[in-house]
Amino acid sequence: MTETLVPALDPAAGRPGLSRLADDDLELLLLIRHFELELLRLYGRGELNGTTHTCLGQEYVPVALRPLLGPADFVFSNHRGHGHYLARFGDAHGLLAEIMGREGAVCGGVGGSQHVHRDGYLSTGVQGESLPVAAGVALHLRRTGPGALACVYIGDGTWGEGAVYEALNLAALWRLPLLVVVENNGIAQSTPTASQMAGTVAGRAAAFGIAHRLVVSADVNEIRRELEPAVARVREGRPLVVEFVTHRLGPHSKGDDTRSPQAIRAAQENDWYGRYAHDHPEHFHRFDGPARARVRGVADEVAARPPSRWSPCA
Amino acid sequence: MTTLTLAKSLNEGMRKAMEDDPKVLVMGEDVGKLGGVFRVTDGLQKDFGEERVIDTPLAESGIIGTAIGLALRGYRPVCEIQFDGFVFPAADQIITQLAKMPLRSLGALKLPVVVRIPCGGGIGAVEHHSESPEAYFTHTAGLRVVACSNPVDAYTMIQQAIRCDDPVVFFEPKRRYWEKAEVDTSAADGWLPFDRARIVRPGTDVTLLAYGPMVKTCLEAAAAAEEDGRSLEVVDLRSLNPLDAATVTDSVRRTGRCLVVHEAPVFGGFGAELAARITEECFYSLEAPVLRVGGPSTPYPPSRLEEHYLPDLDRVLDAVDRAFAF
Repeated sequence: MTETLVPALDPAAGRPGLSRLADDDLELLLLIRHFELELLRLYGRGELNGTTHTCLGQEYVPVALRPLLGPADFVFSNHRGHGHYLARFGDAHGLLAEIMGREGAVCGGVGGSQHVHRDGYLSTGVQGESLPVAAGVALHLRRTGPGALACVYIGDGTWGEGAVYEALNLAALWRLPLLVVVENNGIAQSTPTASQMAGTVAGRAAAFGIAHRLVVSADVNEIRRELEPAVARVREGRPLVVEFVTHRLGPHSKGDDTRSPQAIRAAQENDWYGRYAHDHPEHFHRFDGPARARVRGVADEVAARPPSRWSPCA
Repeated sequence: MTTLTLAKSLNEGMRKAMEDDPKVLVMGEDVGKLGGVFRVTDGLQKDFGEERVIDTPLAESGIIGTAIGLALRGYRPVCEIQFDGFVFPAADQIITQLAKMPLRSLGALKLPVVVRIPCGGGIGAVEHHSESPEAYFTHTAGLRVVACSNPVDAYTMIQQAIRCDDPVVFFEPKRRYWEKAEVDTSAADGWLPFDRARIVRPGTDVTLLAYGPMVKTCLEAAAAAEEDGRSLEVVDLRSLNPLDAATVTDSVRRTGRCLVVHEAPVFGGFGAELAARITEECFYSLEAPVLRVGGPSTPYPPSRLEEHYLPDLDRVLDAVDRAFAF
């Protein structure tokens, strides 16, 4: 039941080569990358407080899935969800305003980084909670909107939570159009996956009779091509777990990285950003500088806005 | 008028709500074919089908989570938690999602989910079939918490809870499920709003605040006290959050004495909130401190001991004596 998408090797470089991206995909990838870097800069300058969880290194996952998800689909995100939101809506202003508590915030600045609601999109920071809710949405979609699906992003650490299994059982039992996207970055906050998970994600999906795809590649075009038929089957009521083997470049949130320098270096070596710059320098540089400048402009504009105003619900 | 048990009143209320609104769903463990362990959903699956009355796996977090997802898509799910002690696996979904999502979204998300919980002891059952977990939920901003005490209120309040756009935790006094009353099932409006308290027995000397199963106990105490020449006013709170503070404080200002009676442990219980609130708002009217009658801070005991745990007429009357002696 498990199928693995193995990256195509570039024999010259001795590692997978990334295929050339469409301009809009590259722009989106860079938007997410520079958005996250800008957040860290703003924290460093004291313009943001509290903390956040960046998706640095994992940006390609929602970008690859973007055209596979339609407007009628419902996306559930998690604590590391800025990339998911930006891939869905491209709305850097609204998200940054939400995080900074400025006018124009998606949820009036009440939800913050982790709790964002917009039509067909909802995130929560508590691990695993979204799965049963996504199952409920998927049950509705199965009944009334054939062809639409509920997509829920989780991490490898999330598989410790019981709610995951309640939802997988419901999904298999009720044949729900539920797409579970696992961003397996090999570490749950500070605990390596091998220290917190017995068995495998594939084995757990198999226990429920749910199909599982393992994606090792970071090549957006390749991932998209390979996953398209599998995602189409989800729409027919065949739930699917897609597990991305990915890499978290930065700490869990900020200043809490317990990995060895070698492990961090390995994550950096796998980073799509450096790899794409190497494989397609002209294309990369044509968009990278403008993306950084664009995000900086967003940050300057949003920071200058007045605080978001809201009143408690009646 | 029809003579109905409290359980049947809830059943009739849900049936009416399902007839009125096709978006109303019932879901839970064994609610379909069996009709629930207390038969509160008896016959609903037969009449409304398996699509609207859903037998779920044993998965309280999954039940409430799925209900939230359905509510996001416009349904009005009514979830049965089979016994009070089974709500804790669902607490994550109730507290972290159901209560908070509407607030976080500034009301853009409506989650009209009703979580029905048979509560309290007195039926000779085990610990986790006899608990009173209401304070966990009254403490949570974003939830309405209500408790019915009699068949008439059961019929109307369940319908009001289902119609309400907010999440509602709906406590049902399981040991009163079989008590009967005349219920008017023809009227569809003119009901007391379900967030309002009701004075169920007027009196002049002491206010007894109760909800759910303890309302009847308080009424019995009031009848007994009358023989001693003491006039007890019994207020059925019905809604714990929001609290109908006006009805409560008006009563206490008139009587000058107040007891709070609930089955749940006194320590940190809902009575503590009432006592504090009344002290803040009625201080100069009080002849005695607000006294609390409730369970001890222990797990609910085995059934052979539960009569020692549950507040009864004698414990209420003892507290009335203490209020007068102060």
